[in-house]
Amino acid sequence: MRKIRPWPLTLTLYSLLFFCFIYLPLVVVIVFSFNSNVLDMASWESFTFDWYLGLFGLREVAPSQGTSAIYVESTDQLLNALKNSLIVATFTTIISTTIGTATAIAMARHRFRLRGTYQGVMMLPMMMPDIVLGIGLLIFFITLGFKLSLLTIIIGHCTFLSSYVFIVVQARMAGLDPALEEASADLGANEWVTFRKVLLPQLMPGVVGGAMLAFIISMDDLVITYFIAGTDSTTLPMFIFSMIRRGVKPEINAIATLLILASLIIAGAGLYLRSRRVE
Amino acid sequence: MRRQRLFLLGLLSPVTLYLGVFFFGPLAIIAVFSVLEPGLYGGVEWNFYHWNYGRIFGWADGVVEWYEPVYLKILFRSMLMAAFTVIACLILVYPVTFWVSRLPQRAQLFFMFLITLPFFTSLIIRLYAWLVILKPSGLINDVLLGIGLIETPLDMLFTRFAVVLGMVYVMIPFMFLPVYSSVERLDRTLIEASGDLGARGWQTFLKVILPQTLPGIAGGSVLVFIPSVGNFIIPDVLGGAKGLMIGNLVEQQFLDARNWPFGAALSMVIMAVVLTVMLIYATKIVRAGQRIGEV
Repeated sequence: MRKIRPWPLTLTLYSLLFFCFIYLPLVVVIVFSFNSNVLDMASWESFTFDWYLGLFGLREVAPSQGTSAIYVESTDQLLNALKNSLIVATFTTIISTTIGTATAIAMARHRFRLRGTYQGVMMLPMMMPDIVLGIGLLIFFITLGFKLSLLTIIIGHCTFLSSYVFIVVQARMAGLDPALEEASADLGANEWVTFRKVLLPQLMPGVVGGAMLAFIISMDDLVITYFIAGTDSTTLPMFIFSMIRRGVKPEINAIATLLILASLIIAGAGLYLRSRRVE
Repeated sequence: MRRQRLFLLGLLSPVTLYLGVFFFGPLAIIAVFSVLEPGLYGGVEWNFYHWNYGRIFGWADGVVEWYEPVYLKILFRSMLMAAFTVIACLILVYPVTFWVSRLPQRAQLFFMFLITLPFFTSLIIRLYAWLVILKPSGLINDVLLGIGLIETPLDMLFTRFAVVLGMVYVMIPFMFLPVYSSVERLDRTLIEASGDLGARGWQTFLKVILPQTLPGIAGGSVLVFIPSVGNFIIPDVLGGAKGLMIGNLVEQQFLDARNWPFGAALSMVIMAVVLTVMLIYATKIVRAGQRIGEV
């Protein structure tokens, strides 16, 4: 084996720049959340914690601007939106993990006529543009007389998140040895016992991974939620979206920073655990 | 044997019922609505009405509905912007995948982790960050003005450029992961053989490296193109009036114009574009990839 020529230095530099580019926007938001400039958040004035304090109602911010009411009001709305998002994500995760896992097991352990069709159909909800699914669900719910609420959001999220869970669990299934389940059956265990005692414990990392993915995507979904949320079921991404649309308030940087940190910690921990398991 | 069948039925019926009702139901109802007559006050009349498509494709003659070329124009523009996004993603990502693929195992895992991590932070916040960076008083203009490269702030926000930039930024992981997985599997002996047989660097690249990574490139392109072409959040936040895409038109029909049948017809068009791309991918490109794999 001949020694491979090392990459030119320019490639290394370019790659490092590329990774800076990926993180630049996140860094900008975090830095500017400490900017005291009320009128124009994008130009730096001086360091302040005010937006964070204002967010939790600990400090009345900038009453001279005549906008102090905004902060108190939006903190309640913010917490309410966060609560809605957590409710939706929790139920969505439970339902879509159940459906996705059951389907993945069926596909891996059983031979049946429509297997290829099911495999293809499971890809469809992920590939369907969000907006098509969103308006489809909207017309569907309205035509059938559903009242738009948190429930309709949960139903909508599960249609595409079941497929995400399916993919993750299926990948895990592929690495399992069916001989263990056969042995269990040979030793007299019925399907249910084999499932509970042999298959499920081995499958768990995949199920947890799929559930985490479903939770994160559900927390973050905006497009589908946007169409099928009722007036009193604003979720966190919708709240931020409408804040941006109405004209940006300085405190949004603080909200964004907290959210970035929360998701980086959760996702970081998840990905780290997974990579550890691979080693 | 009978118990087995029962177990299979138990495993498959949740997904069958769920997708049957809540996925295929909505798709079917879009198709039905797209050929219904819009009611006067935002409702719908249950009559067959092909003028929704006539407005888009040109046979509405001005008696019942008008043909409006702007819809086709925006459709093509959306496809073009999605294509630009694909190409820009690929150019940005391709060299980096080669760099990462030769790092030690641990470092590879670390950089893969860095690529996927932003994907888990809120989409709307990442877009908002670009709003802050691109606006006239934003970071880029501050820097450019500061070093004296420009004298008046550039108008970058609310342009098509801003929309494509935002889409590229959001879609990078979808391009990176498939391309990386095919670059990682490159057969190094073939590259060496090509060099030994006298091929120049660019010949080796065109004849050996590129064909081997084509499956990854094609897969990534489909994964980037499809969410881009129907997107409406990114053009909404970064595009303004100049950066409108077909997804924004659909949204307007539902929330402002309240012409649901026409909005349904527009989204049928988006769906047709997406299904065509998937079909081309499934028949042509996957097969071509298999052929290359056999060699």
